[in-house]
Amino acid sequence: MFEHVDPRSPTPLYAQIAARLRVAVASGELKPGDALPSVRQLAGKLRINPATVVQAYRELEVEGLVSTKQGAGSFVLDVSADKRQKDRQTEARRLVREMLSTAASLGIPTADLRAAIERELKGDSK
Amino acid sequence: MFRTIVWMQWKSTRALVLLTTIAAFALPLFSLKLGLNNYSPVGFVTTMQTVGSAYSILAALAGLLVALAAWRADHAGRHVYALSLPVTRPRYAMFRFGAGLLFMLPTVAAMLVGCLMVTFSGVIPEGLHAFPISLTLRFALATLVAYSIFFSISSSTNRTAGIIVAIIAGVIFAQYLLTVFGDNRQTVDLFDQLSKFIFIRPGILSVFSGRWMLIDA
Amino acid sequence: MSFAIETKNLNCRLAKSFSITDLSMHVPERAVYGFLGPNGSGKTTTIRLLLGLLRPTSGNIAVLGMQVPDQSAAVLARIGYVPERLHLYPSLTVGEAMRYHSAFYPTWDEPWANEMTRQLQLDVTRPISVLSKGETGKLMMLLALAQRPDLLVLDEPTDGLDPVVRRDILGLLAQYVTDRQATVLISSHLVHELERICDWVGLMDHGRLVAELPMMEFKTGLKRLRVSGAPDSLSGSPFTLLVRERGNGVVEEWLVRGWTPSMQQYLESAGASLREVIDLDLEDGFVEMLRASRRAE
Repeated sequence: MFEHVDPRSPTPLYAQIAARLRVAVASGELKPGDALPSVRQLAGKLRINPATVVQAYRELEVEGLVSTKQGAGSFVLDVSADKRQKDRQTEARRLVREMLSTAASLGIPTADLRAAIERELKGDSK
Repeated sequence: MFRTIVWMQWKSTRALVLLTTIAAFALPLFSLKLGLNNYSPVGFVTTMQTVGSAYSILAALAGLLVALAAWRADHAGRHVYALSLPVTRPRYAMFRFGAGLLFMLPTVAAMLVGCLMVTFSGVIPEGLHAFPISLTLRFALATLVAYSIFFSISSSTNRTAGIIVAIIAGVIFAQYLLTVFGDNRQTVDLFDQLSKFIFIRPGILSVFSGRWMLIDA
Repeated sequence: MSFAIETKNLNCRLAKSFSITDLSMHVPERAVYGFLGPNGSGKTTTIRLLLGLLRPTSGNIAVLGMQVPDQSAAVLARIGYVPERLHLYPSLTVGEAMRYHSAFYPTWDEPWANEMTRQLQLDVTRPISVLSKGETGKLMMLLALAQRPDLLVLDEPTDGLDPVVRRDILGLLAQYVTDRQATVLISSHLVHELERICDWVGLMDHGRLVAELPMMEFKTGLKRLRVSGAPDSLSGSPFTLLVRERGNGVVEEWLVRGWTPSMQQYLESAGASLREVIDLDLEDGFVEMLRASRRAE
């Protein structure tokens, strides 16, 4: 699930990890009761500070997505379908925000962007 | 810790110890063989005196080689590894010194064995039977002195060792100059004076000089 | 906050043109402290001073609560050190080097050391002299970690190594930090590598510690602003203006530290308008801070 994180991105690393996990839960990739990778495992795999992983997991715990038991690790909680959909929507808006910001810095007008979206959605491969 | 240092230092030293041990064993036997040749009285004395100096040289050489081997591994890496280990420098040096002392035991023991073999060959008069022991003891002392001196020089930085060598070279050079430009009336032999001071009893290196074979011209 | 490493006004004169000047460094316990700086800035020298390998001219060094170099031997027993260049004996094999090293550290973890040789694919029978650079790098890291130290001091541990080896080493490091809650001081001029793992940054240049701050502050607070209409002098700015480039157009480029989005109001009240905020990654930030500090000299 975690191939990489981008330290260069303005989004802090812990937020990137939390976001990825949120999406995984929302899409059903991670089901209730599934264990999250251990802090040790994830820190080692991504070569990041374990405190970063802890912060990400803590954030998710506050949101009610996971629960952490001392010594046992973190597990996905049963999340309502409503919540999952809300999370999906939040993620979608975040993706769009990123795209709009990149387009703006490249000077692409909104009309062109909209046209491109339509074409892609129609499945036009050109 | 000491055991590990001994194990590691042995790897650098064992080949040398083998050589010096063989030499130490052979020398007494060789001395005997030489002595049994047909000589005139003067010839016998001169030969024995010459062979006597071989013991002195072997002792110095054994001390030198074991001392150099003790620090070889550290010298190569400029002592960084040793300095980063949780041992104080003096303690570390003592470990290395002790290991080297152990390594010289085979050589001294070989000398003793060779000497004993000469004793029991039946050629030596009974009155001299104790001599091989005292010869071995003197040899042991000489190796110890040589080892200690070379160990200290070797344990210092290249800079200090260089300074010591430079001083020795300086004395030799000064001697040379004095000989060349000196007044013939006053033959100031610096090196000779220094040698007398060090090598003649009770000088620190007197163990190396003088009679090794109880025979003097 | 207690410090794993703390120096006060450390000075050391190495050569006519090079010295460590007035270094007051603070590495908090359990931090992963990235020691950044260009080549020749004095990182290695500082590390040598911290380990008691060099004597300072003046100043105070406290590592793990003990004085260096007075209590060096005791401190070194708890420090895992990986120097820039191979310091081990080339005549030993990997296994012999492990055996030798383990004799000096009572906290040596033999099973883990053996496990790591498998993980890192090190052949214990090979002499160190024939190992590749990557393999010696892995071995030195293995030895430092198997000691189970409270403090790891790593001097350019991944320099010259290929990406795969770098990953292995940094992955092990991250795991160790999790397990042991150890403090790490890692020096590198490869900024992007430290980005992921460090939570503190110390920046060195020309023998001085130019900046020392939490990584989060360094990364997020450092921004490039494109501003127009700003007055020539700004009083009472809530951020630190490091660099101001006027260029020839209307829009200026500013480099600021300590920026938060709410400060936009301050700019507007000064009559300026904020065109754009550009994030700087650690590498850019590092370069800019160096430039700024050199300009200030």
